[in-house]
Amino acid sequence: MLEQIIKNYLVNTKGKDPALFEDPTLQVSALDLDSLDMVEMLFEIEDRCGFQLPDPTRYPQMTFRDMLADIEAAIREHNNGELPELSLEENK
Amino acid sequence: MAKVLITGMGTISPLGADLPTSFAQALAGHCAIGAATPDIAKWLPNVLLAQAAADPASKLDGKHASLDRASQFALVAANEALAEANILAAPADSRRFGIYVGIGLGGAHTLDGLYSRFQSAVQSEGKRNPVVVHPLTVPRMMSNAPAAAISMGYGLHGPSHTYSVACASSAVAIGEAFRAIRDGYLDAAVVVGCEAMLTPGAMMAWNALRVMAKPHAADPSRSCRPFSQDRSGFVLGEGGAAIVLESEARAAARGQSALAELCGYGCSSDAAHLTAPSSAEQINAMQQALDDAGLRAEDIQYLNAHGTATDAGDVTETKSIRGVFGAAAGQLAVSSTKSMHGHLIGASGILEFALSVMAMNSGSLPPTATLEQADPRCDLDFIPLTARHDCDVRAIMSNSFAFGGSNVSLVARRLPA
Repeated sequence: MLEQIIKNYLVNTKGKDPALFEDPTLQVSALDLDSLDMVEMLFEIEDRCGFQLPDPTRYPQMTFRDMLADIEAAIREHNNGELPELSLEENK
Repeated sequence: MAKVLITGMGTISPLGADLPTSFAQALAGHCAIGAATPDIAKWLPNVLLAQAAADPASKLDGKHASLDRASQFALVAANEALAEANILAAPADSRRFGIYVGIGLGGAHTLDGLYSRFQSAVQSEGKRNPVVVHPLTVPRMMSNAPAAAISMGYGLHGPSHTYSVACASSAVAIGEAFRAIRDGYLDAAVVVGCEAMLTPGAMMAWNALRVMAKPHAADPSRSCRPFSQDRSGFVLGEGGAAIVLESEARAAARGQSALAELCGYGCSSDAAHLTAPSSAEQINAMQQALDDAGLRAEDIQYLNAHGTATDAGDVTETKSIRGVFGAAAGQLAVSSTKSMHGHLIGASGILEFALSVMAMNSGSLPPTATLEQADPRCDLDFIPLTARHDCDVRAIMSNSFAFGGSNVSLVARRLPA
């Protein structure tokens, strides 16, 4: 679900080609996101998890998959090692 | 000095989702005022609103869905005006093309949403973190967000100025863009007024000021009653309006026909009271606009009054019009279209100016649609109840007088056939 939420943002809001995400080596930098795009993308997760992810400037140096793993690790750290169920719906 | 022409106009208002519809509804005397939305009525059961005739997001590309509602109104109105002027994105002279915006309270929906979300998170017993808010909250609610959206959307590199002068905001924006083109700093500008503050927080603040109209017993849609003995205040509205201004030379070079000439701008400050108007400085603004246009009072056939339906406002404006027009006031037709579209605050000046230009070109004058019992202290021809047709209107004046004591008058004249 975490991956789907981020992909939905990138495809629906930023107009990225869904085919991009089929490449397992996709680099976050290849998504051509500026710093504002990056914090908006992370908010999609923060909104649902209730905490702010640390230092988003690290992500452009990672692959897309590594970024997802990093975000998942941060969520688990805040939830005693568990990954709570995330809703596709925005937590307005 | 360059002659300044109006080559496009647009609006999304309580009367319609475009300018032709809004003007037709105004001529029909349609009052677009109704009950408040449930989130406001829950706290203020008697408050009335003039909501826009359409959701602005429904008229925009999905990428604009997250903009503040005021920016969405601005874009919809600008799209219509620029399309009428046959101006596409990224004009070759983009550095000579400015964006002038007037708005009263920027980002009201975003700000209200922010506080509402914070309160709800605080009361969620730890389920939600109150401090996690959308990272674009600031760029959405900044007052110059509408100007930025238009500048980026159309690739316009000239100045993008935002004026926040309460009810006179967009009238000031028109006047300052007019001067910039007339005096050679720019060749063209898109001028926009927008306002979207029909939110619980903003409405509570307005309610506390005791200036809001009470529901009219017979027909709540007719509750805004300027110049009427039974007036009770104004009704807040929302929406946006836009005009495109160009130097005569620029319009001629591309073979673009024009709608009218913008020829006079006057502005003044009361320097007296936060909300009470001053006749002396209203007269000053109107006389400046006439002098700027090189016209005499008797050259104006229609005046769109600020006409908010407050006792002090209506009586003072009547006195001011008499002060400027003298004997010519007897031949002047005046109306307050706020009786139909409500008070759009930052967007009201430009909406009323656009309706006035439509009136001049069509010869049909919108009424003060709710004027059933004339206040004897307001003794001008206020076009009561129904529109007037087949009028020979060669020049118009539009007044905008703001809380804070800022007064603006604009004058436009008809182009030769």
